[in-house]
Parts: sequence; C-alpha cells; structure tokens
Amino acid sequence: MKSLLRMSYLVAGLGGVGFFVMSILLLGVWPGRALENQIARTQPAHPPALTASEERGRAIYGREGCAYCHTQQIRYLENDVRRFGKATLAWETIFDYPQLWGTRRIGPDLSREAGVRSSDWQFSHLYRPQDLVVDSVMPAFRYLFDRAPNQPRQEARDLLDYLETLGRDRALAAPEGETHARDNCNCSEDEERFAFGAGPLNASPAMARRSGEVPKFPQSDPARGLVVYKQNCASCHGAKGEGDGKGGAGLLPKPTDFAEREYSTDRLAFALWNGVSGTAMPAWRDVYLKDLASVAEVVRRFHSAQPEPAIPKEVLDLGARVYSERCAQCHGKDGAGDGPAAGQFPIAATNFRTQRPDLAASLRAVRNGIEGTPMAPWTSELSEAELSAAAYYVRTFYATGH
Amino acid sequence: MIDSLPAASSPTPSPSVETHLVCAHGLAALVTLLISICFGFLAAVEMVAPAAAGSSPWFTWGRMRYDHTQGIMLGWLGNAFFAFLYHAVPLLSGRRVTSPKLGQWIFGVWNFAVVLPGWILVLAGYSQPLEWAEFPLAIDVFVVLSLILAIVQFLGPFFRTHLEDLYVSSWYIIGGLVFTLLAYPMGNFVPELVPGARGAAFSGLWIHDAVGLFVTPLALAIVYFVIPAATGKPIFSHFLSMLGFWLLFFLYPLNGTHHYVFSVIPMSAQIGAIIASTLLGVDVVIVVANLFLSLRGTGWFPRDPALRFVGTGTMFYLIVSIQGSVQAQMSVNQSVHFTDWVVGHSHMAMLGFASFAALGGIVHAWQRIPWARYNHDLVDLGYWMLLFGVIAMVGDLTIAGLVEAGQWKSAAPWIESVRAAKPYWIVRMLTFVPIGGGFLFVMAGLFAGNPGDGLKEVAAQ
Repeated sequence: MKSLLRMSYLVAGLGGVGFFVMSILLLGVWPGRALENQIARTQPAHPPALTASEERGRAIYGREGCAYCHTQQIRYLENDVRRFGKATLAWETIFDYPQLWGTRRIGPDLSREAGVRSSDWQFSHLYRPQDLVVDSVMPAFRYLFDRAPNQPRQEARDLLDYLETLGRDRALAAPEGETHARDNCNCSEDEERFAFGAGPLNASPAMARRSGEVPKFPQSDPARGLVVYKQNCASCHGAKGEGDGKGGAGLLPKPTDFAEREYSTDRLAFALWNGVSGTAMPAWRDVYLKDLASVAEVVRRFHSAQPEPAIPKEVLDLGARVYSERCAQCHGKDGAGDGPAAGQFPIAATNFRTQRPDLAASLRAVRNGIEGTPMAPWTSELSEAELSAAAYYVRTFYATGH
Repeated sequence: MIDSLPAASSPTPSPSVETHLVCAHGLAALVTLLISICFGFLAAVEMVAPAAAGSSPWFTWGRMRYDHTQGIMLGWLGNAFFAFLYHAVPLLSGRRVTSPKLGQWIFGVWNFAVVLPGWILVLAGYSQPLEWAEFPLAIDVFVVLSLILAIVQFLGPFFRTHLEDLYVSSWYIIGGLVFTLLAYPMGNFVPELVPGARGAAFSGLWIHDAVGLFVTPLALAIVYFVIPAATGKPIFSHFLSMLGFWLLFFLYPLNGTHHYVFSVIPMSAQIGAIIASTLLGVDVVIVVANLFLSLRGTGWFPRDPALRFVGTGTMFYLIVSIQGSVQAQMSVNQSVHFTDWVVGHSHMAMLGFASFAALGGIVHAWQRIPWARYNHDLVDLGYWMLLFGVIAMVGDLTIAGLVEAGQWKSAAPWIESVRAAKPYWIVRMLTFVPIGGGFLFVMAGLFAGNPGDGLKEVAAQ
C-alpha cells in the first residue's frame, strides 16, 4: 500500500512538472518559434542595430521604469492603430534584450516616437515635463542635465538617441519593407488590416510636417479657447502670449511672441494642424477642431493693432531693393516664404503674406537674426538705413483677409 | 490521507516548531511590508505631485514602483510564507525542519542578500525592466539559492517521513516551492537572452507564474492550514481540495499570454491562454466553495482574527479570480488592458487575497508561540482598516480604469485621460491611510499586549 502511494506521488510529481513544461512549450517555445519564422519572413534585409549611445539610452529607459507608463506595443486594435500607427510587427523589437513592451499605459505608447518631436522639445520635456505639458504626471529627469534643459549630459543624449530609434527601422524600410512584410507575413485578414492598413505608419498627432492639408476650422469660442490655450499653449508661449512661458526656456527657436505678430487665420490653422516643422512647435491634430479654432482666435487677440506710421516712398523703394537682393532667395520675391533657397533649410522661411511682425520685431529680426533658425543678423552686411528699410518693406506683403 | 491533521494538533505548537525563526521571519515580513508600502505610497504621491520626488534620481517614480512590487513579493510575502512554513511544516510532517542553522542562513540570504541589496541597487539605478523581476540579475542568483535552500529546509521533513499523510497544505507547499524554483529563472533570465516579442512571451508566463506558482499556492497553503487548525473541523472535501490543487497547477501556468492579448504573439497562444484563464475561474470556484463549506457553521468571522483574515482573503481570492477570467476575455481586455483597472486587480490579488492570507498565517502562528505578545483588539482594528482600505483602493482604481478606457476610445487627446484619472489617483494615494494604518495596528497587536495572551485566546475558543 505504501509503495503504491509513493508511486502515485511520483506520477503526480512528474505530472506536475509536465504541466509546467507544457506551459513553457505551448506559450513560450512554440510561439517563440512561430515569431522567429515570422521575423525571418518579414524583416527588412539589414535592420540597423542600436549604436552604443542608443544602447546606453535603452538601459536608462529601462532603469527609470519608462516602460511602466509607456508601452512599446501597438496592439492589433482599431483604437491603438488610430492613436499610434500601424500595429507592432514582431521584427520591430528584435534588438530588445529584454523586451520593453510594458503592461500599463499612463503616457502614450512610444513605439513610433522617432522623428515625432524636436530634440529641444524632448530635452525640455525630460528636464521637467510639466514645464511643457502642464497636466503631465511624468517624473522630471533633471539629473540627466547640467541644471538647464539645454545642457543635457551624455545620459540625456543617450536616452534621446534611443527614443529616436523607436519605430525608426520600420519607417526607414518603408515602403518596400511594408510590401515585403505584408506579402510574407501569412497574417489573418484582421492582422493585415491593423499592421498594414490604409492609415499612416506613424499616427502621432504631434508629428510636425512642412506641408499638408488643413481641415476647415469651425466657428470659434474664445472662452473655450482660453481654457485650451492655458492647458496646452501657455506653458511655452506664456499666459499673455508673449513667448515667455517656462517651457520655452530651453527651446530654440524661442516660442513665438504673439503680442508682436499679426497672423492670418489660415496661417494659424496650418501651424496648429501641422505644427511648425523644424521647431519645437508640435502639431495638435488630436485636439478637437472646435478647440483649435478657438485657440487660433485667442492667439489673434494677443496682438493689438498699432498705429501704422506712413512710410516714405523712397524708404520702401530702398527696402524693395534690399529685399530682392538679400531676402528673396529664402522669403520669395512676393514674401511668401517660397524662395529658391528656402527648401534646403530645416525650418521654413517666414511667409510675410500670412503673418506680419510689428515694426520693432521686424527690425530686431533683421538686426539680430532669429536664434535657432537660418535667419542670420544682417548688421555686418547692410547699413542702418538698409536694415530699417528692409524691416519696413517686409511688412507690406501682409494681405489681410487671407 | 489525513484531512484533519492540523486540526488534530494541539493549540500549542509542538516543541519541534522553530518559534524563533517564525518570529524572525514574521518580524522581517512586517518590517519589509511597511517599507514596501511606503515605496508604493511614494509612487502614488508622485503621480499626484510629480515634483515630490525632488531632483535626485534615487526617488524617481520608476524606482519606487520597482521597489514596491519586489518588496511586496519577496520581502513581505516571502518572509511571511517562511514564517508560516516554520510553524506549519513540523506540524504537517511531524518532523522538524531540516536544520535551524540552515534557517539562519535562509533568513540572512533572503533579507540581506536579496531584499535589502535589491532595493538599494534599484534605487541606485541597477535593475531589470521586467515586471515582477525588477531586481538586477545578481540578486536573482541569491533568490534561486534561497529557493533551493528553502526546498531543502521545508521539503526535507515531508520526504523523510510518511508521504501518505500528505495534507493538502503540504501539497501546496511542495508545489509552490518547487515550481517557483523552476519558474523564477525563466522569468528573470530568459528575456535577457531572448529578445523582443519572443522574450515577451516568456515574460507573460512569468508575470502570471509569480502570482500563480509562488504567491497563490503558498497563500492557499496557509488558508487550508489555518481553517481546520483554528476551527477544529476538517476540510469539507479532500477530493475537492485535490481537484482544486491539480487544476491550479495545470491551469495557472497556461494563463501567461493573457497579458499580451491583441499583440503579435500568435493568436492561437493568446486564445489558449484566454481559455485557461476562463477555466481558472472555475477552478477557483471549486477551491473557494470547498473552503467556505469548511468554514460553514464555525462562526469564523467573529471567532478569531487570524481565521477572519484567512476567510476574507479567500473571499477576495474568489472575486479577483472571477475578475481575472472576465478581463482575459477579448471583449473586456481590449478596453481595460493598460488601464488602472489592472492595477486594481493586482492589488486585490496581492493585498486583498495574498496579504490577508499571509497576515492570517502570521497571526495564527503568533498566537501559538507561548512567549509572544498578542493584543486581540489591535489586530481586530487593523483588520477593519485594511478591509476598508483595500475595498476603497480597488474600487477607486477599477473605476479609474473604466474612465481611462472611455477616454482612450473617444477622440479626446491623450492628456485628457490623464486629467480624468487624477481625482482617482488622489483617492488611491489617500487609501494609504487605512492600509498603512491597518498594517501598523496588526503589527502593534503582535508586539503589544501580554506575552502568552494569544495562547490564552486560543485555549478559550
């Protein structure tokens, strides 16, 4: 009887270990093999591995628990794909030892963070997130900096380098990579729809772009606009729109001072919807259109019309000459920011037809340049008379009612 | 097989119980518990007031979060389980544990080579970004070592004696220790060697195994032990006990992939895990039915604080498991996954179920140490505060999860979901008061009062 019982314990014990081994085979090893096959079939020929700096950044991302608030996994679901972009393929995480998928999403998913925001924005945000995103609950990583958001230490640079790898390989491989992966993945119809559907690879609403359609803005509501402005814009542009918000301290170019600039509605709509590429100004495509329209109205109201002095004709003639010789290459002969040299710069040249700086701002820009942009100071090239003539002249392009 | 073995034991522990090791681990458990919940509280505060961390890297949110869960699992529950095992194993096996000297080593390694340095290393920036595996790899070596030593210490008595008298608690103890030893390296080492999606498949397994093969079996061992020992009545059905046991060890490991539903991991694995998760709920119904049938008519609620902790923990076990079965379903999972709902779920499991059971086990063992102090009223007060705290916290986080899910489905900007969750995070932070207070009162109940009062109370029942 006793030996029989002992036997039954042995059988039970082996059975128990068998259950455990079965779970590993069924849910670990077998899916692993299936994933390996899928990776081999779908990955691009030479996905770039992480550099040393990116690797170090990954370690920082891991040790600070970033993955515990930010997932790196766009699920095969309508809502995930709509918010973040195409669903994550297995090969996209092949360099992740260990994986950083995450199981909690307090901040947005970061699978497609590469190229979404400017470095100065990222640094300022890492330095103290609430300076830019007022309601953020993200921890401040000030110890990665030398006491200022524009003085990142190596660790902060590494971390940003790593963030710029997230989603990079798939973006680099597209469009051939997408076709290749789609043709070889043996996905179900559903999976194919989420991983290779019609939407953008990166659906981030904040990614700035230099050109793009802008939907028609509805009627604005200035009261609502003020709320939205305070929540989203005041952190950099300041409570009164004077470009003096705390979050702007580490940004170059500095956030725009709306008090000294007049904008056409179209220009504001474009900047809100598409961001200002090459600057820290993100796009706001996730904000309701009604709210964007209302914010645009708030921004317009920051500027109060000044009495315009009458400019003598000879000054304007001088301005026109200086402009066509010195400015038109970038700003375009009609001031539309479409000069032949404009395309080579990461930041678009100002279009004076849709915005008009006040005289003081215009003079300042010509004299000092605009730091962080290709606009250089002209004092060594132009006489005082030429400088002011040009500053006057560029203000004549503005066409109200645009 | 003897269902009523613990029940048959006298209220005083037999001389072979190493009461000093019960006491040492019990004390370590409660101290690490208080430290661990402080980490959790700081993490909760920093979500309400991110500036609270200051500018030092040592107290950033991520590190608090890592130390909170590792401290709860290894420091608090690990020590609490060891304390209980030193009380229960001699009574269950009729033999002393393998060696008191070895016990000192296990105590030392577990607390001073695992928990303490683990916490410090995480704070200093050395960690592993894997859930329930955040302590760095160097620490994992000592965890595995401790588990091996614990197997020698606690399973030795069973194998040196009549295995035929194996009571269901013994099954859970053997199963829990052996399978934790098997699963721990898988969860901590494999994702370092297998990258990305493939590694995630293993991480998913471990996330569930940590709860299913370590915490649950040992917590159930306590429940199965304390109920008959405190009521003097045997377990309702040994058959159901065994059925529950085997289903648990069959189904728990198969749940893992439900943490990655709608991921790139093959759909058939996801579906398998979802089916196992559903069936697990059925298994828990069987286990809990058996336990409550055993408690029926014993007046368990007013009778004894230890029994009440255990019984309440069992209630939470039922609720959290049914909830688990529900939230594994694709229709539910797609909404609540990634939200605070899941954080609420884990707190119901680790706090409502496991911590209540562990407290029951510690109080039960404590009452039976002749020289230990004990104050019934303080333990009672602690119970009520904890009960209120856990219900408030889990309720709050569950609603928060639903609010977040609603925001994510809408067209609202992401930050709106953060704004909407903030009031709930404030409430969650405040639940630290009843939870921390509750633990403190239970602790006070074990250190205030007269020596031997616990034994008197047991004798009076």
